[in-house]
Amino acid sequence: MTIKQIQSTCAYCGAGCQIMFTVDIEKNKILEAVPARGRTNDGALCLKGHYGWDYLNDPQILTKRLVKPMIRKGGKGSPLEEVEWPEAIAHVAGRLSEIKAKYGPDAIMGTGSARGSGNEANYVMQKFIRSAVGTNNVDHCARI
Amino acid sequence: MGVHEIEDAALLFVFGYHGAESHPIVARRIVRAKQKGAKIICVDPRRIETARIADMHLQLKGGSNLLLVNALANVILEEGLCDYDFIEKHANGFDEFKEVIKKYTPESVTAQTRVEAADIRKAARMYALSGRSMILYGMGVCQFGQAVDVVKGLANLAIMTGNFGRPSVGIGPVRGQNNVQGACDMGALPNVYPGYQSVTVPEVRAKFEKAWGVKLSDQPGFTLTMVPHQVLHETDPKKQVHAYYIMGEDPAQSDPDLAEVREALEKCDFVVLQDIYMNKTGQYADVILPATGWCEHDAVYSCCDRGFQKARKLVEPSGDVKTDWEIISLVSTAMGYPMSYKNTVEIWNEVIELCPGFAGATDEKIEKNVCVQWPCRSKEDHDKGTSFLHKDGKFAHPDGRAKFFATDWRPPLELENELYPLTLSTVREVGHYSVRTMTGNCRTLRNLEDEPGWIQMNPADCEVLGLAEGELVKVLSKRGYCITRCLPTGRVAKGAVYMTYQWWIGACNELTIGNFDPISKTPEYKYCACKVEKIEDQAWAEKHVREEYELIRGRMGIDMKEGRAA
Repeated sequence: MTIKQIQSTCAYCGAGCQIMFTVDIEKNKILEAVPARGRTNDGALCLKGHYGWDYLNDPQILTKRLVKPMIRKGGKGSPLEEVEWPEAIAHVAGRLSEIKAKYGPDAIMGTGSARGSGNEANYVMQKFIRSAVGTNNVDHCARI
Repeated sequence: MGVHEIEDAALLFVFGYHGAESHPIVARRIVRAKQKGAKIICVDPRRIETARIADMHLQLKGGSNLLLVNALANVILEEGLCDYDFIEKHANGFDEFKEVIKKYTPESVTAQTRVEAADIRKAARMYALSGRSMILYGMGVCQFGQAVDVVKGLANLAIMTGNFGRPSVGIGPVRGQNNVQGACDMGALPNVYPGYQSVTVPEVRAKFEKAWGVKLSDQPGFTLTMVPHQVLHETDPKKQVHAYYIMGEDPAQSDPDLAEVREALEKCDFVVLQDIYMNKTGQYADVILPATGWCEHDAVYSCCDRGFQKARKLVEPSGDVKTDWEIISLVSTAMGYPMSYKNTVEIWNEVIELCPGFAGATDEKIEKNVCVQWPCRSKEDHDKGTSFLHKDGKFAHPDGRAKFFATDWRPPLELENELYPLTLSTVREVGHYSVRTMTGNCRTLRNLEDEPGWIQMNPADCEVLGLAEGELVKVLSKRGYCITRCLPTGRVAKGAVYMTYQWWIGACNELTIGNFDPISKTPEYKYCACKVEKIEDQAWAEKHVREEYELIRGRMGIDMKEGRAA
């Protein structure tokens, strides 16, 4: 058994609490989350910090974890069908390019995310929208 | 200012911010400040936890924020409680400000705020004279049609009393989500590049054009809240939105006036959802791209007080999923703009090279110090970042001075009326987060609360309708309806009701209104007119809620045959 202690940052509210995770590397499972001494949390966590990682186990309570790219091949209202990544990427790039050619770049809107994705993903998203698409139509859920 | 500074304030002025529900760990600092002798003034229409330990609770009527803020400024002016030396050295626009403020006497706002003039005077004196007053504010300020004006109004109070640029003073927006600060820092905003550099400034644009090797648009883009309008009602073909690429959001649950959001998602030619769990928005997506979640990838998050901190990859994801930045890079490359990042550190290095305010926050420094608060301009070890802004009264305006800004109050757009006599405000609860695709899938947290949620009502309003605690009720506005449970509570005033927004059946955003602050474009989640109806056949209602829940879970991909009870 390979047990590791790894410190990370909570992904719920903006408090930025530091969490010490105990991870079973071999079994690929988180075993426990306890507070670490971060600047903002000072050795305390709320319930979400303690228990908010269980979603990783996909316990099938509320919604299903997305595990495969999917496309509605029959158009709007048709069922989602699982596809391989190259097909999904080509489809998204193709449709966005068509729409850009037909209506111009400002017809496309992209969002960053204020949740788990992180700063690097947000940077890459806004760079994509601004450089590859060619519009400033990028925003995120800051207002909600 | 930094979260750690809260406990050393001499006075905390907590305005429209329910720390105990939305940021429990920040709320501990408020308790600790009290233990260390700080005075607390709580301004909130509900008797929230902060109100219970506060020296004063100004239980204002929702929608009257600016009246109260301007009246507080009026008292500080009239009674000569200003820090005139600070104003003279560090601020502009004081005379114009005084002109607007002079009519906002405490007596003139009492009827609409429902706060006694004597209490406004007392609070203003306490705030102005404590020596170290800190303002904390939250969505109770921001989620109104008049929001930015109130933020500026709170800033006026801090400027006029010299409560800026020292430890444990200033005004603190306690930002909601874990990385809302970060998404802003990284330029996921329609008017600024990363590091708050404006898309309309030619020199700035030239810098990014050079770095990214492409010509960039000089027109600010749309905000997310404008999308339904741009899809459904925009008549100028050049401004219509035809494709919507959504990463890690669920507008079909979180945005106001859900019926309109659904209509827009249905009509939009191409909708991409890139997320970790199926959600309401996924029901309308043409393509689903599965991403890694928190604990499955490395990332830097920015917490509410500008602190860069690392979130780590702890486990390997089990599905055929990719990180968000890898997916976008692949799409970008396929569209003819190649991106080939190897890891997050490579991306981070590019970010800090382009943003002077983040330049010193190197990967090594964040690793070593755990947290680096921007601005951090120098890569040298001595620059450990910045706990509070505007040190020594230096402000962000080009001349380094603060600017007073005063304006008149506007009421919310949709006022209570004969048909819809109650006012609805959306709020938070401690166990669930945002649209609950994460917390609702955590066994311990799901057990705290489940569908269809609650509507907080004053016991007198419940009595009129003959409602008991736990009874299912129908809540309606001009835009839609939902079913939830009645929670009679003396914490809320008569005529005002409160709901949280994560429930599918008790979805309060069916009711909320798409009225936006003209500058921030934040929806008026804190005010619309509604009514509550009693449901006579409770057995039917209970069955309906159960069946609806199962139906939606089925649509979300849960295999109902396996007999997993909701």
